[in-house]
Amino acid sequence: MLSTNAADLVAVSVAGHIAHPGFPGLPAEPYRLAADGTPFLLPTYGGIVYNVSVGDPAFGWFADCIHPGVSIRQADDMKNRGLNVYACLGNTARVMTGAAAGATGVVTGKSGRFSEQVICHFPKQDRLRMAVGDQIVIRAEGVGMALTDHPAVRLKGLSAALLGKMALREGQGRLDVGVTASIPPHLIGAGLGLTSEGGSIHLQTTDRDLVARLGLDRLRLGDIVALEDTDSRMNHGYLRGAMAIGVVCATDGPRAGYGPGIALIMTAPGGELGSYPDPGANIADLLGLIP
Amino acid sequence: MSDLAFEMGGLVEMAVTGQVSQPAMRPNGYAHWPDGRADVLPGMYGITYNARVGDRAFGWAGDHVEPGVSIANAEEKADFALHYLTCIGNEATVVSGLAKGARGVVTGEHARILVDFDADVLDLMTIGDTVQIRTVGRGIRLAAYPMLEFKKTSPALARAYGLLEENGQVICPVAMELPARIMGSGAELNAEFVDQDLMSGDRALMADLGIDQMRLGDLIAIRDVDHRFGRSFRPGWVAICLCIHGDSIMTGHGPGILTLITGPAEKLGFTVDTGANIAHTLNIRGDA
Repeated sequence: MLSTNAADLVAVSVAGHIAHPGFPGLPAEPYRLAADGTPFLLPTYGGIVYNVSVGDPAFGWFADCIHPGVSIRQADDMKNRGLNVYACLGNTARVMTGAAAGATGVVTGKSGRFSEQVICHFPKQDRLRMAVGDQIVIRAEGVGMALTDHPAVRLKGLSAALLGKMALREGQGRLDVGVTASIPPHLIGAGLGLTSEGGSIHLQTTDRDLVARLGLDRLRLGDIVALEDTDSRMNHGYLRGAMAIGVVCATDGPRAGYGPGIALIMTAPGGELGSYPDPGANIADLLGLIP
Repeated sequence: MSDLAFEMGGLVEMAVTGQVSQPAMRPNGYAHWPDGRADVLPGMYGITYNARVGDRAFGWAGDHVEPGVSIANAEEKADFALHYLTCIGNEATVVSGLAKGARGVVTGEHARILVDFDADVLDLMTIGDTVQIRTVGRGIRLAAYPMLEFKKTSPALARAYGLLEENGQVICPVAMELPARIMGSGAELNAEFVDQDLMSGDRALMADLGIDQMRLGDLIAIRDVDHRFGRSFRPGWVAICLCIHGDSIMTGHGPGILTLITGPAEKLGFTVDTGANIAHTLNIRGDA
């Protein structure tokens, strides 16, 4: 059993409202451009997504980095930052207003620059009763969590609830995480240089052949993945020997530099963190999410 | 050489303006090293007196150092025009204040447009002075190579590239090559807007590859990237870029690399020539 300071963590409320989809992509509104310059008009992040859930494929949707389930935000930037940073993957979310009041869900991801939303899973039956604007409160706990025996491993936006379900192997001064896939550094795109305390970093998928050859096109939403040579202690960036672990939280998309979004949960700079193949490393299965 | 004739006759010249910016900082002022250590460092915005195109990109006690004068337009849409119409090598003129009438040259585009002026002009300039740029270059192309896309290339820069042609391939002299895997912050932006930082956090790699010798104004080549509509990894493509700002302490950041030419590798190549720096090739500095 991994030793942590979870017993000393403080649980606080953060809230958001179900976000309305938007098209912020000036100057070509409403079109966005695919990596080859083709204009496209497809659903993108935000709102209540009725038919895409954590556990579903991350590829193949006619969508641009769609968030599965329900996406929430705060209108005020400062408050939204609090929501985006404090919410941890695996935290419990509860609908507080509207026809679905009382329904409970789980935080499953975050989105990055230009959207800044928190992604929550709710069963499809509950989504039918929700409305844009409904308030959802998250019992935020996990910020500040540390691994007692692995001080070089930093945890980011990870709840003790999810940590406790993850497949982990402890070795001499090293922690290995079960992952469904490893992403090489040249395929890490949008999100580099941005904060790792919120938001997402993206697998970039312009080179479809390479993505298929590496089997990355079989990723599912909720998969736990390794980012090779990636140091995410402060922002995300390249460092030989570093490693970051994240959860696939948004689907693929056509834009250059983009592909499935990944919410960061762990990182270490100098070989203190590793990974091993584990086909079962998906948070929908680990957390037993109700479809 | 005839195949390397640029189509310039139809280019439209327009004026855009910006004001010399005042440095701005976050509420706590800090930037962080990869291990979390915090520093307060100058570099962005304003008038930078002692860092000029042609100078080193690494080693400053600064972060994202913008050489010369950084200008912006307070009105958002006008600022986008300043960004999207301005080309590297365009002429700038100070149109207000004590330096009125002084001429400069555009050397970069960060969150602000970067303009080089002689040191004695900088002494006369103040925050808020208006600089007008005579923009020209958007739409420039090589008729014989329509698959090559030129971005922010003024006619002056087109000549300064010193392009060569070998066996049906355009060759651009560059000061150095960067590996695609270290291209970082800016991957989320469209490729017509500002730059993409090289990630300098692996300091040993910077030294091993000689990247730490980069100078502001260096032409830079990157293999296996397509910079047409965003900047993404794509084997078989090449981007020719420009170092526009200095190094950074922040993870995922480093010197700013701005896209100038991109195309398929069979039509676009490069040769390493340490003299490929716009301070020299655009005759901005006699001493560089």
